[in-house]
Amino acid sequence: MSVPDYMQCAEDHQTVVVVVQPMGIVPEDQFFRIYKRIASVSQVSIRDSQRVLFIRFRHHYPPENNEWGDFQTHRKVVGLISVTSCTTAKEWPQTSDRFHGQKEVFGSTLYDSRLLVFGLQGEVAEQQRTDVAFYPSYDDCPDVEKRVEDFVESIFIVLESKRLDRATDKSGDKIQMLCVPFEKKDFVGLDTDSRHYKKRCQGRMRKHVGDLCLQAGMLQDALVHYHMAVELLRSVNDFLWLGAALEGLCSASVIFHYPGGTAGKSGARKPSVSSAADAGKRHRPGALTSSGISADTSAEIGRAKNCLSQEDIIEKYKEAISYYGKYKSAGVIELEACIKAVRVLAIQKRAMEASEFLQNAVYINLGQLSEEEKIQRYSVLSELYELIGFQRKSAFFKRVAAMQCVAPTIPEPGWKACYKLLLETLPGYSLSLDPKDFSKGTHRGWAAVQLRLLHELVYASRRMGNPGLSVRHLSFLLQTMLDFLSDQEKKEVTQSLENYTSKCPGGMEVISLPDGLKLSPVPFTKLPIVRSVSLLNLPVSLRPHKVKGLLGQGLSSASPFIYSPITMHSRGDERSKKIDFQWVQGDVCEVQLMVYNPMPFELRVENMGLLTSGVDFESLPAALSLPAESGLYPVTLVGVPRTAGNITINGYHTSVFGVSSDCLLEGLVGVKSSGCMVEVVPSLPRLQLCTSLPRFTHFSSSEYKINLSTSVSLQLFNGETQQLTITLENIGTETLNTLELTSKTLSTKEKLFGEFLTWDLQDALSHLPLKSGQSVSIPVNISAKLDFSGQESLLNDLNDDGISVTGLPVSSPLRQVLKPRTENKPVGSDASKNEFNHVKTLEAVLTFKYSGGAGQVEGYYRELSLGVRVDVEPSVFFTRVSTLPATSTRQCHLLLDVFNSTEHELTLSAKNNQDLVLHASECQRMAIQVDKLDFDSMPVTDHDALRQATVRQQEEKRQQVQGGLINSTLDIHWTIISFTERHGEASVEGVLNQLILEHLQLAPLQWDVVVNGKPCDCDVIADCRVGDAVPLEVKLTNRSKSAVGPFSLTIVPFQDYQNGVQNYDLQDAVTFIGSNTFYIGTVNPTENSVCVGALLFLYTGDFYLNIKFQDDSTARDLPPAWFCLPSVHIKAQEPVEL
Amino acid sequence: FLICVAIRANYPLYIRSVPTQGELKFHYTVHTSLDVVEEKISGVGKALADQRELYLGLLYPTEDYKVYGYVTNSKVKFVIVVDSSNTSLRDNEIRSMFRKLHNSFTDVMCNPFYNPGDPIQSKAFDSIVSTMMVQAC
Repeated sequence: MSVPDYMQCAEDHQTVVVVVQPMGIVPEDQFFRIYKRIASVSQVSIRDSQRVLFIRFRHHYPPENNEWGDFQTHRKVVGLISVTSCTTAKEWPQTSDRFHGQKEVFGSTLYDSRLLVFGLQGEVAEQQRTDVAFYPSYDDCPDVEKRVEDFVESIFIVLESKRLDRATDKSGDKIQMLCVPFEKKDFVGLDTDSRHYKKRCQGRMRKHVGDLCLQAGMLQDALVHYHMAVELLRSVNDFLWLGAALEGLCSASVIFHYPGGTAGKSGARKPSVSSAADAGKRHRPGALTSSGISADTSAEIGRAKNCLSQEDIIEKYKEAISYYGKYKSAGVIELEACIKAVRVLAIQKRAMEASEFLQNAVYINLGQLSEEEKIQRYSVLSELYELIGFQRKSAFFKRVAAMQCVAPTIPEPGWKACYKLLLETLPGYSLSLDPKDFSKGTHRGWAAVQLRLLHELVYASRRMGNPGLSVRHLSFLLQTMLDFLSDQEKKEVTQSLENYTSKCPGGMEVISLPDGLKLSPVPFTKLPIVRSVSLLNLPVSLRPHKVKGLLGQGLSSASPFIYSPITMHSRGDERSKKIDFQWVQGDVCEVQLMVYNPMPFELRVENMGLLTSGVDFESLPAALSLPAESGLYPVTLVGVPRTAGNITINGYHTSVFGVSSDCLLEGLVGVKSSGCMVEVVPSLPRLQLCTSLPRFTHFSSSEYKINLSTSVSLQLFNGETQQLTITLENIGTETLNTLELTSKTLSTKEKLFGEFLTWDLQDALSHLPLKSGQSVSIPVNISAKLDFSGQESLLNDLNDDGISVTGLPVSSPLRQVLKPRTENKPVGSDASKNEFNHVKTLEAVLTFKYSGGAGQVEGYYRELSLGVRVDVEPSVFFTRVSTLPATSTRQCHLLLDVFNSTEHELTLSAKNNQDLVLHASECQRMAIQVDKLDFDSMPVTDHDALRQATVRQQEEKRQQVQGGLINSTLDIHWTIISFTERHGEASVEGVLNQLILEHLQLAPLQWDVVVNGKPCDCDVIADCRVGDAVPLEVKLTNRSKSAVGPFSLTIVPFQDYQNGVQNYDLQDAVTFIGSNTFYIGTVNPTENSVCVGALLFLYTGDFYLNIKFQDDSTARDLPPAWFCLPSVHIKAQEPVEL
Repeated sequence: FLICVAIRANYPLYIRSVPTQGELKFHYTVHTSLDVVEEKISGVGKALADQRELYLGLLYPTEDYKVYGYVTNSKVKFVIVVDSSNTSLRDNEIRSMFRKLHNSFTDVMCNPFYNPGDPIQSKAFDSIVSTMMVQAC
């Protein structure tokens, strides 16, 4: 006997074997359908008794095993059911013959047999035969089960008769010697009459009867017989049979103790029969006797006495196995006994002892085994180890079995079976094929062993002809075992992976195996490793801004409290947190990943893109190549959102070594992320800006630098104006509807006069709406007008006594305003002396706000900022300013000391003045005659502004306005001669101070002197005739805010000899008609008063009139400049001859 | 042959064998022996939870090797595999080897820079194992 039945268990001892075989050509599936129906009748309750017969159906049974039937009757084939197809009656005789032939195979042991014929109809089928059943087809055989039950009953009758026959045989003198096949030759020539031999025969027969009793359902009888057999055989040292008797005893006891069976899932016993209570009832002695079949005397003996205890079962099994072990040919019996014992132990939960049995089973040599048997053997060992909870051992044997499937000696390796078995070993090596289980922390386990197993899986799946599977496994290996691979191995694994993927690219789909196992996809989250994910804001110029003041803007309704110390913060929220910037539909958006390559070679990542949800997103994949073991490496992934809404970045996809993987961020460990959700606003137009000036990058104000889309720089001389043309092109797809332009001069310590940037947007606005691709130009004037009084610090140094050149004390608040703040000035006299050569920098930002398209509807706009930087080189300085009264009281002379600080020769021109040529670094005085100005008549600008401002600010403001007025009247221009195009203005605003302003101001009391009906002023010469009375009129107009007067005026005539001598002694030459003293009463504001007198010139000549004020106390509190009367020049001529 | 393994939560913290070739085989041997160790722990645990003998004795004999086991109270397992032909090593020697291993392992655990669960890279532990291996072979 060489074929072990690895599925055996102890309760199989009470079964009878029935072989079901196909005969002739029977379709396999049909046969197994019938077989299944037959096999469902695995236990039959026998009529008229409470006993049950258990049947083991086999569709294949080696005849050699049948030969051991005497040794253990449950190995004996007692029944045969043949299944055959027979379509015509003609075939019937032949079929019948073949059935008889088949019966011959098991002939010696068969109790009964049946033939099931399918397909035959008609005459032949009509015949009634007990051993043959006819069915028209495989589908139409309703009473197969019934037939089988009848058949089993007939077997039972034979069995029962045999049992009774044998049981009562003991009275007979000659007992047949039962023996196993290999013993037969040993008995040749043995003395059959010896006591020893007889006893042996008796013992064996007892054991045989015990087997029969057990099969016939008489457990108690069986136990008694076994006990007797054990005693008998022990006395004659018939070890093999002693072992069998012991095993029988064990089996019977096991059946008693464990009615549920020991075979686990394979032993499908109906619970109704096997419940303990039922079993007890069944074996009650009374019941047995009442059945009338058996009246065995031993039935009276208490079953507890005969039945082995649980511990004893194991002891007896051990003993039995040790006896079997003495016979080499009984290896199969020993092995099966071991297996049965293990099953019992597994139920008893005595794993250690079970493992000893199994260990023994491993070493039982069954001689030359076929490969298939080896596989079966290892699989069963594995199963048994699993049964006792030795997962690892089980996995080990399963793996051995798997390897056996593909042993090189096998001509057709069963890779599929190998693969299937390997898969089953995974739990034993605590390996799961789901990469998610490995994502938590570092991998812990028996890496070397697991690695090996994975390699084997890869190889097996490849040989199976399923490259997709091997790619999946190899990717899994690479992903999870990366830390344990040496550099060399990494190279090898990736190389083979690339080989496989060239045939079958790996993807993200779940691979389902036929047996239901699902291989989830393996995303390569470690190739490369991602450390952080951050969504990038759009470039400044493309960022959308929400129009302020729209309803619901900036109001968070999350909490009714303005401030709460309880932050609504939870750890998990970080990823879902919304980022506080927006992306714009249709514009390229960026996400930056920090990645590194853990491989010892260059890693090519292809098709790397973003995985998003919420919004249609067009991902623009990137390919990158990471150097070996790179450090952190920034990678920017881009894409274009195609619709508006909230977009969530879920992860990224890559394609590495031909395996494309979708890596979700939530599954990644150690990834820093500041949030992955961002709002996408509807599309907005895009403007591109170009200027007529060169680009410039070093914008100094860092806070603005980041916000600037572009910046320009230019160099200007102080006072120069240049035009900048800005061209805006709509490069987006949306139509531009609105455009606004604002400017902001960055805070500078330099005082700036006039508007720095001026523009006219009307022309550009008329071009709106601007369609895609169109452009518009905007001219912007840049004028740099800084303080031209740069010399002041130098003057300060010269006038350390605190009195400035113009005589105003330094402590005056007005003066402080004019001066640059001292703390901002560079320290050291050298620096301050060179100040007028110093290049000053002005910076401003031009901001275009524009909107259009769907974004405008939602209230978004974009800003485009242009930084303008102007390096202002000094042109001219007014180093000193003073006034000289002019001949006319309405005018005065402004004296300006102008310094040319450029390296070029320049000309300076003022209104009504000739050009002044200044060489480099030359200083000249320039005198300009100016009409005095009436500041009070200037319009007061903004009352509200004035009211809010402090007194000082008002004063400053006023002064600024006055300065501007003066400047516009002066209109000083300079031109650099060498560059004709370089010209500019020079503003005196900065140099003017209170005193000069007062000088330039028209007095509030306006005096008009009219001589001879002709208004007189300094340069006007009034003509008159000698002897004629010359009327003189003095008119006072009060423009001040209060009433003035009364005043008294005295008119003193004199003659100027132009040599410094003035002759006041003119009583002879001039005489007054009336008084030479005028009196003017109180003059209310805006009113005037006129006093009239007359003069009479007696001689011809040039006369001057000096109008003097009488010393009057009332005039004293008014400034003397208010009493500035023009001097009158009168030319007296010869009277006309009549 | 001699292999020492320190195992915690059923994955190895330290494994070393002399000679190094055929290491995978030893991995398999030790891995499967864990079944026995677990079985023994659970079996003993029921009876005497407190005063347990740490030394588990021979886990199982194979044709070529003897596998011995030792479990600390914190369920850290030590396994020593020796050649079956090596008769000089008796139970007592194995026992003392385990005790040494245990002491050294305790030292490793006392290292504040050691992160429990990481593979043992301690030089001291290494040298103890080395000397044991030299003595045994």
